[in-house]
Amino acid sequence: MALLAPIICDNGTGFSKVGFAGNSDPSFVFPTAIATRGPAAQPSRGPAVPSKPGNLASKRGVEDLDFFIGDEAIANAQTPGYGINYPIRHGQIENWDHMERYWEQTIFKYLRAEPEDHYFLLTEPPLNPPENREQTAEIFFESFNIKGLYIAVQAVLALAASWSSNRVTDRTLTGTVIDSGDGVTHVIPCAEGYVIGSAIKHIPIAGRDISQFVLNLLRERGELAGVPPEDHLKVAGKIKEQYSYVCQDIVKEFRKYDQEPYKFFARYEGEHAATGRKYDLDVGYERFLAPEIFFNPEIYSSDFLTPLPEIVDTVIQQSPIDVRRGLYKSSGVEVDVISHKRQRYAVWFGGSLLASLPEFYTSCHTKAQYDEIGPSICRRYQIFGSAT
Amino acid sequence: MILLEPHNYIIYTTLTEKASQPAALDVQFVDFDGVRFRLTTPDRKVPTALVLSMNIRCWDELVRYGVNEVLAREYTSLLRAEPENGYNVTLDVNLEQLPASGEERDAFIKSLALLKRNALAAPFEAGFQTQKQLEAGGTGQGELMALHYRDEEVIYVQASSDRVTVIFSTTFREETDRVFGKVFLQEFVDARRLPTIQAAPQVLYTTREPPLEIRHLQGLNDTEDVGYVTFVLFPRHFAKAEVAALTITHIQLFRDYLHYHIKCSKAYMHSRMRHRVSEFQKVLNRAKTEVAVVDRKTASGRTMR
Repeated sequence: MALLAPIICDNGTGFSKVGFAGNSDPSFVFPTAIATRGPAAQPSRGPAVPSKPGNLASKRGVEDLDFFIGDEAIANAQTPGYGINYPIRHGQIENWDHMERYWEQTIFKYLRAEPEDHYFLLTEPPLNPPENREQTAEIFFESFNIKGLYIAVQAVLALAASWSSNRVTDRTLTGTVIDSGDGVTHVIPCAEGYVIGSAIKHIPIAGRDISQFVLNLLRERGELAGVPPEDHLKVAGKIKEQYSYVCQDIVKEFRKYDQEPYKFFARYEGEHAATGRKYDLDVGYERFLAPEIFFNPEIYSSDFLTPLPEIVDTVIQQSPIDVRRGLYKSSGVEVDVISHKRQRYAVWFGGSLLASLPEFYTSCHTKAQYDEIGPSICRRYQIFGSAT
Repeated sequence: MILLEPHNYIIYTTLTEKASQPAALDVQFVDFDGVRFRLTTPDRKVPTALVLSMNIRCWDELVRYGVNEVLAREYTSLLRAEPENGYNVTLDVNLEQLPASGEERDAFIKSLALLKRNALAAPFEAGFQTQKQLEAGGTGQGELMALHYRDEEVIYVQASSDRVTVIFSTTFREETDRVFGKVFLQEFVDARRLPTIQAAPQVLYTTREPPLEIRHLQGLNDTEDVGYVTFVLFPRHFAKAEVAALTITHIQLFRDYLHYHIKCSKAYMHSRMRHRVSEFQKVLNRAKTEVAVVDRKTASGRTMR
């Protein structure tokens, strides 16, 4: 029997991307949320305590099957009796009970795959503790009896995704990945598929800050007068996603806008979610100023002032000397940033590319190997393209 | 989610999305029991012309049991005479000819998402028909239809004058699964005795010993891993067309349902184990002896920490 396509499962803090290898887009992208019976978990510091699943004697029905995931979870968040939980925080799995059930439904309801017939490729954030890998492997091999498992670092997959860009001639897993999420931006140097952990830097400016900055600009110009207050942040987020772009020279850009405002100013139209009242506003300088907070953080924040290129430079300078050339080559400083069409689901797409290579199957740990050695086998994975 | 849905979720969501916003695509995905699908727009410039192909491993057997007639009835003009290379069935879907949005369109898309279900329905429909013919005659047995739908597992369907027998052979690759499976299947048999579900088909479960209907077959696996589940369907389960359709839908998903629930039970056990471990950890933490903090001073009188 021909092997069925491996399943790529990229579970992020906000969204999960799942699908089959060989495709260019994930089959499903939905929030990493699970709505279970009972109150929602309070966002707390420290690891989540496993909830009491109830005594076997007191279990009468199928309460443990009564839950929703993804978009359905969000839709049912307000349903009485259900509480919404986010099992992943800061990229790392916090609640294994919820995560196990989340995967269970992802596989059986959405992907409709028999896990025993498939290889899986999962992702993890850089600096994920090896214990987490072991837990994940335990769930996948012991609950789902999967055929084989590969756990890849997200940053490395993002580099692999850039192989599809036609500007990339040599297929290497060396480069600097700038991973800008909702809360934090990470600058991660990778050398031949390994993450240089000691050189990773975090920038406290990310998606949420861009939205806030756009909001501030709109407020200052008085554009938001006609917008209901509860929609402000949503409008700012939409403008960030739909209208913003990076410019070469701010001064020139300002001049362009002032000379031909009708050409460059855009109009955003929205509708109030509850009342259906329509409103619209002008989108101006924030179109090119929004991304600029990465390069000139002083326009937004007063306590963090290092521009992104400088941070990338520091990161590379802290990496071992023999890989620095490679890191520079495929990243920011020479303004040779590689961008490609699949930017949005880059990590997933990189996984899809790698899992469709024939070497994927030899790099995986199989069920037989797991049974022989135990979860500790998943502490180490062979990097693609490296000698064994 | 207790029951698994009969339709393929990916086909359903993709088609619903493309119906409102046609765009070029080429995706491959799977369904239970090793069924492979491919959904493409062969011409990138005509995003409304979609092609849906399916590969199913027991196709040759299905053809013998009349799958072509079933699919021709369900999909009429959509069915392509020559399927795409590497696939068994190909449907041409033109998004421009979809019914206008609303319930009708939804029903149409759902019928496409039921492609696998409809293909696998063939032997069951054939069995139901044979039963009707035999009933008129009074005695006799129909052909024993075997469906090798997975590598190691087979569905047998046989019609008699008063019933249709469906036998699933099940194997478990994993020791734990086998134990869970045994308990589950035994539970099926016992639950049938409850007064509330007397209308349900009769279930028999045996390990190792194949049921009488298939005992004469050559090459049956008779190791410890194998079990046989027999469903006896009486005419009341397929007399009416709607009831028959539901019966087919449910019985097809039996194996996936079983495995899904085995996995769910394991997940439930794991969450209980995790809870217990964290309770034990609390006990251990309480048992720790407190280290008395003694101020240590240097000669000059400063405190060391």
